[in-house]
Amino acid sequence: MRITGLIEKLGQPFSSFIFMLGELARLLGLILSGILYSLKRPQLILKEVFFSGVLSILIIAVSGWFVGMVLGLQGYNTLQRFGSVSVLGSLVALSLLRELGPVLSAILFASRAGSGITAEIGLMKATEQLDAMDVMAVNPIQRVVAPKFLGGIIAVPLLTALFDSSGILGGHFVGVTLLKLDQGTFWSQMQGSVSLHDDVINGLIKAGIFGVIVSLISVYQGLLAKPTAEGVSSATTRTVVHSALAVLALDFILTAFMF
Amino acid sequence: MKDSLVTLDQVYFAYEADKPILSNVSINIKQGKITAIMGGSGSGKTTVLRLISGQITADQGKVTIFNQEINQLSRRKILNLRQHIGMLFQFGALFTDMTVAENVGFPLMENTNLPESLINKIVAMKLEAVGLTGTQAMSTNQLSGGMARRVALARAVALDPELMLYDEPFTGLDPISLNVTAMLIKKLNGNLGQTAILVSHDIEATLKIADYIYFMANGQIIDHGTPEQVKNTSNPAVRQFINGDLGTSFSYKYPSKQSYEYYLGQQ
Repeated sequence: MRITGLIEKLGQPFSSFIFMLGELARLLGLILSGILYSLKRPQLILKEVFFSGVLSILIIAVSGWFVGMVLGLQGYNTLQRFGSVSVLGSLVALSLLRELGPVLSAILFASRAGSGITAEIGLMKATEQLDAMDVMAVNPIQRVVAPKFLGGIIAVPLLTALFDSSGILGGHFVGVTLLKLDQGTFWSQMQGSVSLHDDVINGLIKAGIFGVIVSLISVYQGLLAKPTAEGVSSATTRTVVHSALAVLALDFILTAFMF
Repeated sequence: MKDSLVTLDQVYFAYEADKPILSNVSINIKQGKITAIMGGSGSGKTTVLRLISGQITADQGKVTIFNQEINQLSRRKILNLRQHIGMLFQFGALFTDMTVAENVGFPLMENTNLPESLINKIVAMKLEAVGLTGTQAMSTNQLSGGMARRVALARAVALDPELMLYDEPFTGLDPISLNVTAMLIKKLNGNLGQTAILVSHDIEATLKIADYIYFMANGQIIDHGTPEQVKNTSNPAVRQFINGDLGTSFSYKYPSKQSYEYYLGQQ
């Protein structure tokens, strides 16, 4: 009896995870089936791009700048030992474009905008706003969920591009302005080693995929939230935790296939 | 019945197998009348409204609305049907990211192809009908509880529905707002010939405006009749409810359930 109980306890998180994946797939199907409605009303999507994208610009730009500065500093110190400081530009750009840009932007997006999306949908559910919409013959998935999902998909790659640019400028500030590395070397090394297709576009594809995952988790947790203060609070926490884990795990898989 | 707009025929509904919310509930809602469903908290009143609006489906029995059995309808047909139904939620359920005008105009924007100028005129008319002229630009957090309820009422009747569902419209209102809301419900019913289903546990206001009343307790209909018949009923449970007695027919104690016994076993 104790052994079966133990097996049940070990198996339950796994079966819950499989169940969650099924529900996420079903929600994605429902969103995609109603996407035409959202596309007919671009103002709804634009509003969501503003809330999740434009309002995240500051945190993304500042974070990117600091990450770039740290990369510049660490890279300079390490490369100096091997007499290769000239490749600092390449190191900063490739680290950001391939990995740090998409991953950190997606995690920051989940913390800044994803949690907001979850809280908004959760509170709309708790205050019967979604029920009211449904009773008024308006599908809440089409009217509320799909625009937020699309807004996230559009915002994340754009924010990633901003994070990358800001990070490169941060690396430039440390390497060239503070540590007096030659400006021409910094940029020419970067230009020579960064490929538009392999690095820039693949990085943005990664960001697009992370955008889908984070946005889907955000709306899913909002719809799943218990209609209480504690329920909404737990749901926002789950959005950040699940998004971060999903992004990091998926990053490994995508990197293995892409680069 | 020929003049019935909504009928529930021996309906059974449960969220969990051992805890029926409704059992063997039969209700006839006459066209053009205000029918109230009364009973204590947790008696299953709101579940009846959710069944009628198609938000949930009965496990057993038939729910017929506009001569169509709602359990048999596709999601699309239920959505079409809902364009003829208005619902006032217990706390209004106004959209907090929209202004008053956007809230009231929402069903019109979503379900009709009317030009914006006409929608604005209809919104103004509906707000005037609930005594809130000039509040169009206000945001929902600027409204008092009573005003929010009236905005929600204006939104619910924006499409001039044939059937109005009111879920506890008097809860949490001061006596003046309560009477204003009751008067508006009566006025809408009289002016537009709307059929109304009113779920409430406010005795005084409901007896004043309802044409027919069903009493519910523990998920069952225990009595029904006109307000006069209800006032003079000999049913002890209804008498206890009307007079607010502590009595024995309604118990304030939650019945011991299997889950509670399980909980005790865990301690």
